Amino acid sequence: MSRNRIKDQIAIVGVSSLPRTRDGNRTARSLVAEACVQAIRDAGLKREDIDGIVSSAGPGHWLIVPPGVTEMTATLRLPNITYLNDGMGVVVSPLIDAMNAIFSGACETVLVYHYNYRTPFNSKLAAEDPFRRGFRGYDDYPAENVKNATAYTAWCARYMHENNVPREALGRVAINDRTNALRNPLAAMGSKPLTMEDYLNARMVRDPLTMFDMDLPVDAADAFILTTAERARDLPHTPVLISHAVQGLCETASDEDQLASLAHHGQDVVVRQLKQKGARGLADVNDTDIAMIYDGFTFISLSWYEKLGWCGPGEAGAFIEQNWNAQQNRLLLNGRIPVNTNGGMLSEGGTQGAGFVREAVVQLRGDAGERQVPDAKSVFLANGGFFYNSQAAVFRRDDS
Amino acid sequence: MNATQAEALARYSHRAIDQDNIGLYEGWLAHELRLNKCADCGKWHEPARAICPSCWSMNVAPAPVSGRGTVYLAILLRQGREEEGVTYPYPVALIELEDQPGLRYTSTVIDAAWEDIKPGTPVKLDWTERNRAPFPVFRIDQTRINEVKS
Ligand SMILES: [Zn+2]
Repeated sequence: MSRNRIKDQIAIVGVSSLPRTRDGNRTARSLVAEACVQAIRDAGLKREDIDGIVSSAGPGHWLIVPPGVTEMTATLRLPNITYLNDGMGVVVSPLIDAMNAIFSGACETVLVYHYNYRTPFNSKLAAEDPFRRGFRGYDDYPAENVKNATAYTAWCARYMHENNVPREALGRVAINDRTNALRNPLAAMGSKPLTMEDYLNARMVRDPLTMFDMDLPVDAADAFILTTAERARDLPHTPVLISHAVQGLCETASDEDQLASLAHHGQDVVVRQLKQKGARGLADVNDTDIAMIYDGFTFISLSWYEKLGWCGPGEAGAFIEQNWNAQQNRLLLNGRIPVNTNGGMLSEGGTQGAGFVREAVVQLRGDAGERQVPDAKSVFLANGGFFYNSQAAVFRRDDS
Repeated sequence: MNATQAEALARYSHRAIDQDNIGLYEGWLAHELRLNKCADCGKWHEPARAICPSCWSMNVAPAPVSGRGTVYLAILLRQGREEEGVTYPYPVALIELEDQPGLRYTSTVIDAAWEDIKPGTPVKLDWTERNRAPFPVFRIDQTRINEVKS
């Protein structure tokens, strides 16, 4: 077993998520500032206690409307910052950055924030919003590309060519999310159930994927406070310990069209590490209580189930069918473990995994209200896609 | 900068062109699909890099590929931004070139029904005009259609 010296040494002690909106009229700066203040207060801390700040606004971020860390430090007048970084956009990366900074002693308590912001590229309303007229979305690629979002459609087409997977399997991923979102007041799509008929009749955006297969563009901000497990035990909430947080790139990384095949990509690099480190829930899903399975595209979830070894290659469709609870209209792995209890990114809103982290913390604290999973002790997060953002994390309640 | 490079920069003004990939666009002007090839290990790579990703030789230069390949995967865009020569629904295909296993080029397949642009379909390079400049596309290679399987 390879060493994992940081295991359970860092805790999440404060969280905040603002409601996800599809028609918001606030700046990203405003959303982030509010989330940061809420998270610091949630942790029972003051501005003087924050000595590290990490954002998801780094150069790899594709929604270029930053409040970066220097601006946010100034906005909140944080007086004691000794560690700062604008990190990668998908949530486990900035968490790892903060963890390492604390573990090394560069700082003790880090404010991590993440935001998503609708751009003219991905939202019709945003395109009509004069306050967003200067924003770019993805880089300005010609139609003939299979980069970023398009890459998942492309590789899904290849997956469906290689495997006999009915569209209903993708539909189940979307329906599971929607069912869970109905109990999440933060969710952008929390008021109306999704039926298989709705899914199968939805308009194609890029064949073979429909609008229900891609995560929802929303305005959203999330903030997290991380500190040492030791210090966490003096703070108001039950500490949520980070047992594992890993990421992985395969050699073709963001040259999405040059990936040799679906047999090996970033998710494999992540799973190899989880295996070496003996991550709870990987070998036996029964050892976890909630699974957060990335759903930026429905197809990404199918891939995760296979790569995690919870089913064989090409068998995710059958796996989903076997674990479908018709009565509850959602997935329950092994008849017990719910998936994406917040509604996922397809129905809570697309936040590059930040919503999963907040949901995991709230569930482990026992604060999830009507969607609380009874006595949740451990959460398994398989986050990100294949090319430049494959990651995973395992959280556990301090007393478990 | 030589005259061909200047012409490529001028005629493909909407493309992100730099010293590492300008050879691709010079090739377009000459109706040749030129991808980067390593003079030391002989491997092709795409997109164009300043160094050979396989052996780290700096001795890379664009060279024409055969233009023969097969569809590796294809998607159909139902919407997207306005571009000359692009009408929706618009097929985008990843073409695996026969010059080297796994070497792929992203383009479109013209004059074909969407149902016919399946993985494994043999295709060959062809040229069209976009913004009054040559643009590489592929079309189904009827002479090979019975020879190649996915
Ligand atoms: Zn070489």
